[in-house]
Amino acid sequence: MKAVLMLEDGTSFNGEGFGSEKEVIGEVILNTAVVGYQEMMTDPANAGKILVPTYPLIGNYGISPKFNESSRCWISGLAIKEKSRMYSNWQAKSGLDAFVKEQGVAGINGVDTRTLAVHLRNNGEMFGIISTSNRGSKELLSKIEAFRKSQARDFIKKISVDKPTLIGSKKAKYKIAGLDLGITNSIIRQLEILGIVLNLLPYNTKPDEIMKIKPHGLIISSGPEEDVSLEEVAENTKSLIGRLPILGICTGHQVLASALGAKLQKMKLGHRGVNYPVAQPGSYKAEITTQNHGYVVEKNSLSKIKDVAMTGYHLNDKTVEEMESKKFKLLGVQYYPVSPGFNEVNGVFKKFIKLLN
Amino acid sequence: MPRRNDIKKILMIGSGPIIIGQACEFDYSGSQACKALREEGYFTILVNSNPATIMTDPDMADVTYIEPLTAEVLEEIIKKERPDAILPTLGGQTGLNLAYFLMKEGILKKYGVESIGASVEAISRAEDRLLFKKAMQEIGVDVPKSGIATSVEEGMRIGLKIGFPLILRPAYCLGGLGGATAYNKVELERFLQKGLAASPVHQILVEQSVLGWKEIEFEVMRDSVDNVIMITSMENVDPMGVHTGDSIVVAPAQTLTTQEYTDFVNLCKKIIRKVGVTGGGVNIQFAQNPGNGRIVIIEVNPRLSRSSALASKATGFPIARVATKLAVGLTLPEVINQITGRTASFFEPTVDYCVFKICRFTFEKFPQAQRVLNTSMKAVGEAMSIGRNFKEALQKGIRSIEISRFGFGCDGKDKITDEMLDKPSNSLLQLIKDKIRIPNDERLFFIRYALKVGLSVEQIHNLSKIDPWFIDNMKQLVELEKKIKGFRNNQPEKAIELPLELLKEAKKNGFSDRQLAYLLNTREDDVRCFRKRHNIKAVYKLVDTCAGETDAQKPYFYSTYETQDEARVSKNKKVIILGGGPNRIGQGIEFDYCCCHAAYALKEEGIESVMINCNPETVSTDYDTSDRLYFEPLTLEDVLNIIDLEKPAGVIVQFGGQTPLNLAIPLRDAGVNILGTSADNIDIAEDRQRFKDLLHKLNLLQSDNGTAFTFAEAKAVAKKIGYPVLVRPSYVLGGRAMEIVYDASTLERFITEAASVSGEHPILIDKFLEDAIEVDVDMIGDGTTFVIGGIMEHIEEAGVHSGDSAMVLPTHTLSAGVLNKIRVATYKLARELNVKGVMNVQYAVKDNEVYVLEVNPRASRTIPFISKAIGVPLAKLATKVLLGKKLKDLGFTREIIPKHVSVKESVFPFNRFPGVDIILGPEMKSTGEVMGVDKDFGRAYIKSQLAAGQKIPTKGNVFISVRDKDKRAIVLIAKKIKELGFHIYATSGTAVALEKNGVAVKVLSKITEGRPNILDLMKDRKVSLVINTPSGRIPRQDEVKIRSQVILYNIPYTTTISGAQATVSGIAELIKKDLQVKSLQEYHREIRKAKKD
Repeated sequence: MKAVLMLEDGTSFNGEGFGSEKEVIGEVILNTAVVGYQEMMTDPANAGKILVPTYPLIGNYGISPKFNESSRCWISGLAIKEKSRMYSNWQAKSGLDAFVKEQGVAGINGVDTRTLAVHLRNNGEMFGIISTSNRGSKELLSKIEAFRKSQARDFIKKISVDKPTLIGSKKAKYKIAGLDLGITNSIIRQLEILGIVLNLLPYNTKPDEIMKIKPHGLIISSGPEEDVSLEEVAENTKSLIGRLPILGICTGHQVLASALGAKLQKMKLGHRGVNYPVAQPGSYKAEITTQNHGYVVEKNSLSKIKDVAMTGYHLNDKTVEEMESKKFKLLGVQYYPVSPGFNEVNGVFKKFIKLLN
Repeated sequence: MPRRNDIKKILMIGSGPIIIGQACEFDYSGSQACKALREEGYFTILVNSNPATIMTDPDMADVTYIEPLTAEVLEEIIKKERPDAILPTLGGQTGLNLAYFLMKEGILKKYGVESIGASVEAISRAEDRLLFKKAMQEIGVDVPKSGIATSVEEGMRIGLKIGFPLILRPAYCLGGLGGATAYNKVELERFLQKGLAASPVHQILVEQSVLGWKEIEFEVMRDSVDNVIMITSMENVDPMGVHTGDSIVVAPAQTLTTQEYTDFVNLCKKIIRKVGVTGGGVNIQFAQNPGNGRIVIIEVNPRLSRSSALASKATGFPIARVATKLAVGLTLPEVINQITGRTASFFEPTVDYCVFKICRFTFEKFPQAQRVLNTSMKAVGEAMSIGRNFKEALQKGIRSIEISRFGFGCDGKDKITDEMLDKPSNSLLQLIKDKIRIPNDERLFFIRYALKVGLSVEQIHNLSKIDPWFIDNMKQLVELEKKIKGFRNNQPEKAIELPLELLKEAKKNGFSDRQLAYLLNTREDDVRCFRKRHNIKAVYKLVDTCAGETDAQKPYFYSTYETQDEARVSKNKKVIILGGGPNRIGQGIEFDYCCCHAAYALKEEGIESVMINCNPETVSTDYDTSDRLYFEPLTLEDVLNIIDLEKPAGVIVQFGGQTPLNLAIPLRDAGVNILGTSADNIDIAEDRQRFKDLLHKLNLLQSDNGTAFTFAEAKAVAKKIGYPVLVRPSYVLGGRAMEIVYDASTLERFITEAASVSGEHPILIDKFLEDAIEVDVDMIGDGTTFVIGGIMEHIEEAGVHSGDSAMVLPTHTLSAGVLNKIRVATYKLARELNVKGVMNVQYAVKDNEVYVLEVNPRASRTIPFISKAIGVPLAKLATKVLLGKKLKDLGFTREIIPKHVSVKESVFPFNRFPGVDIILGPEMKSTGEVMGVDKDFGRAYIKSQLAAGQKIPTKGNVFISVRDKDKRAIVLIAKKIKELGFHIYATSGTAVALEKNGVAVKVLSKITEGRPNILDLMKDRKVSLVINTPSGRIPRQDEVKIRSQVILYNIPYTTTISGAQATVSGIAELIKKDLQVKSLQEYHREIRKAKKD
């Protein structure tokens, strides 16, 4: 079945449709990681997006439920160069094909993803449509346009837990509240390793309710950017600053910065991959990080905020990657503090634990 | 942190000659290191015995020593130059071992030299099996069950406790030398003996076999402030059991989940920290159980390696350059990534393509060797290909390794035809299964056969343990092949009816026009025209380190069939240089050296250079050697695609060896401008009949000869000119299938052999000039001025391939009259062939007559050697000549005859092929070369022997056994040996001859006569030199055994009388006085001074 991926500027890419046959429209984003298609697809932060892995061979190691970052796929479309027709890994339970179909994602295979990636690099991330309908380009473009106009991005409501959910042992030393904007399982797993009990709360939980459960600290999770619900979360966060230690992750970091009064700005091309260098100011020390964001905290606006310091920046484009307030016990990371492997936890969580005492 | 200011002078050790396990990747890393050090303003001292390297060019380091890589020589150099630091991690295992020895022996301490990049502790933790195992266990990294043995008994005890199969790994050995897999007690004992002998520290690891597990590698870098990055992962297609240097490797790993990948990364970080590398890179090899994911570590190389060269070329990340900068104290965030030009080196490269590495073997050179792959490396070279999927990369990879194949079968060259596969016999099925089960160099093709006879992916996986993902990809190719074949024409003239969609699919999956032509029963050119008419053309994508995320400034290119071309063709004048492809015997680093010089010369002339090559080990495929680099196979189709795009002013074919030369005529026919000597004149030199006519016209002598296509013709020719004759196919390299034949029955066998090598070209038959002296001449010409670069006299007698023979420059036994004849002949030939560029002529001198053996209108293997000897960069000059410059303007008009003596010696891979007879003949067998330079022949020769790894004795016992015709010549040599204080052992025949002439010897029984014989003596290490000349084509069993033992125990040996003479005169020098060292720059200054005077 022939399919097309058309971008809002009229550029189109041909391919073969797979997965769900529905027509989907969404922001087209790249991800430069070689492995991790399943994690990218199930990361709630990617809700509604058309995901384009730049690595050309996708599906090689299959799908295993245990690698899901959340309960389901959140992307609307998947555009790839070559779908592996077979998978090979001892942990695999099914193939990409079946997974995509079951999850209702519209896929397009055989796309010149390199050309698409270079196009997005040069022209910025934009909307696109995957269609198997044989519609003319005019019609497809007007559909994108209509979608763009009507669309208020409203995923967090759907993603977030609908009632407080306790994860971990009640006897744990630390109890942490987590505002769920789209938390990923790999973050939850690290908290489990640390022996923390996480009280995962709906995104719009009021500050007083949060304080009522007497958490040692609060995590504002990653999740979709540009979402209508984020304003409310930022507003709620304002009154929490100074009352308990807070860790903001990715979108949560942006929420925290907004609550502090900093501004956000959209990047031409997001940071989406696993190889982003984050340096510490005044040091030769740096870390390789996993990232998935299209917005950043604007540096000047952050520098004007008292008692908050930028503690990490992107080595190449110098954007804000990390902020910290000793006074308010705040920690914000634009990147994903993923586990370094096995049963180990990222340094960010270790740092956060220290704030809890 | 800024670079260190407390060190000023840095010493670097190269890796010496090209051998199996250590090829030109260390020229690439060493050259990058030299450049990086000088960029940072350090005074650089370089030592390497290999003249064919770019790193030993006199302008690469401040001071360059072409001297043997031995501890004594190094100490001399350190004493003289007083470096502050030594960089041990860029010169392969050889450089590392030597540096480690200097550390251990306190020599570095004595002269206050610091080791940078890797400390003595770090090196021992990675290299010493016991320390390594302990270190890994301390950080909780799983290792296979193992024990360290220093004796056979100990090894047996450990092995029996672990259980079979067992892997044996000798300590401090490169390329798995001496390593083996033992399946039973008998094998274990035998391999322990061999392995212990191979290890320089007499230590061996007896290890649980993880045969059939996945083999995963990572390249990791770390700086002084503990920043760590992964450069890439790599997955071996051939699972554990095949040396990684022999395996097909893909980058990145294809079948790892995110979690597994992360776990590996985590392990890598722990390991590099534990080993303690504080400024550089390491290669880490793991095995993973495909059934449950269990990971064990196999080994760590705390240095630049073959894998790091591959990782570097696969990702674009210049590992050697960055490692060097880290070694002098800079940190990763400070070093700029020159490929992107705008980002820091602190990031992890990511790719949007699939890289495929495939190895080049030369089993055809060693017919007695078992054609199987195991843990001891056997590949002599490798090629890398890049595609947008595995299938495309695989097919391009096969095209790249110069085995006359054009993809994954179906190119008209399959050993087993479709007809045979349609109804396979039981024996064929068994053969296919065996060839898949036991790793060998043809396994890929046999997997194709297996798929064609209907074996399932699972069956093939069970036999080979190759991951099903790879096999299924191969199956997709077989399916596509079948689809294409459905459109086969009955008659070749008929128009192609292949649907365009299918053609596109085929091209996207790497099918060559040649394969399509075969499948469709048409001609390659018709496919090409058809394709171009329908605008199905290759486009070029980038190796940019970042999967397109950043607009890279200095990327390189690979072809694929996608929608958009990203090539950056300029409108400037440009020239394409065709590289030499993978290293193999007969075509090595020498040609890459020449190609690099061509690029440098173009730069100097302000012309853009475009390089095409597919060898990831080389300097020519470095991102900054040429203006644009295309990482592509060197086939007509692939080259023409680039020419179509780049539209160069010309193409240089004369520097990359036979590979590009073979393309000269088809390229000319396609309308391409070949720079330099015309394609027609190249043909005159290559075509025997035309060449014969030429010599006749010029009144030059040639040994009697003729050509033949059949055995009957050959027999007639041989009868006419008289035996012995030399038979060889035309248009081949390195004396492939060349033999000296003494009678008609052997002639028949060789004709059959040669015919299959040469294909449509005739067989050449020459009268063999016994006992002649061979001479090699390299010259350069611009069409009007012709200048000899050097006349080199072979030390071995005629009949030994010039690539294998030791040579001396200037000549040392030829009379002025003979030399004059040689010069006259050379200039005549050059003028007649209107040589523009370089030319090599080989002569045989017998009874003061000079016979022309062959003319090669291209750069020869000896160009770099001569260039270093006379201090003139011949390849660079030749390039400028190709561009229209005159030698007069370039200031090179007269032959230089230096006062110092330079000897080139060859290095052989016999220790990799147990059971192969060590004799030199007309078929080239050496993998590399070394150079010895000194003020006289004896010293220069002995330096060349030391550099070639021979442990030249100054006392002890010499064993002599020579054939009858050498018995007279050996007497003088034996007398000299006695005078030098050695004792002589000889077999009865030789002993009689010697004693008759008053040389006292001890007689040894022949092996068949009883014991003790020479073998016992060698086992007891009581022989320090063996002189053993062969007695005919089919060697006697005794000789084979002797020469095999010689290799096993690393005893110096010579198989020619002239070699023996030279050795003995060298020993005399060695006894007299310690060897002196002198830099290349000093030699060159003397030449310039002599020129002025």
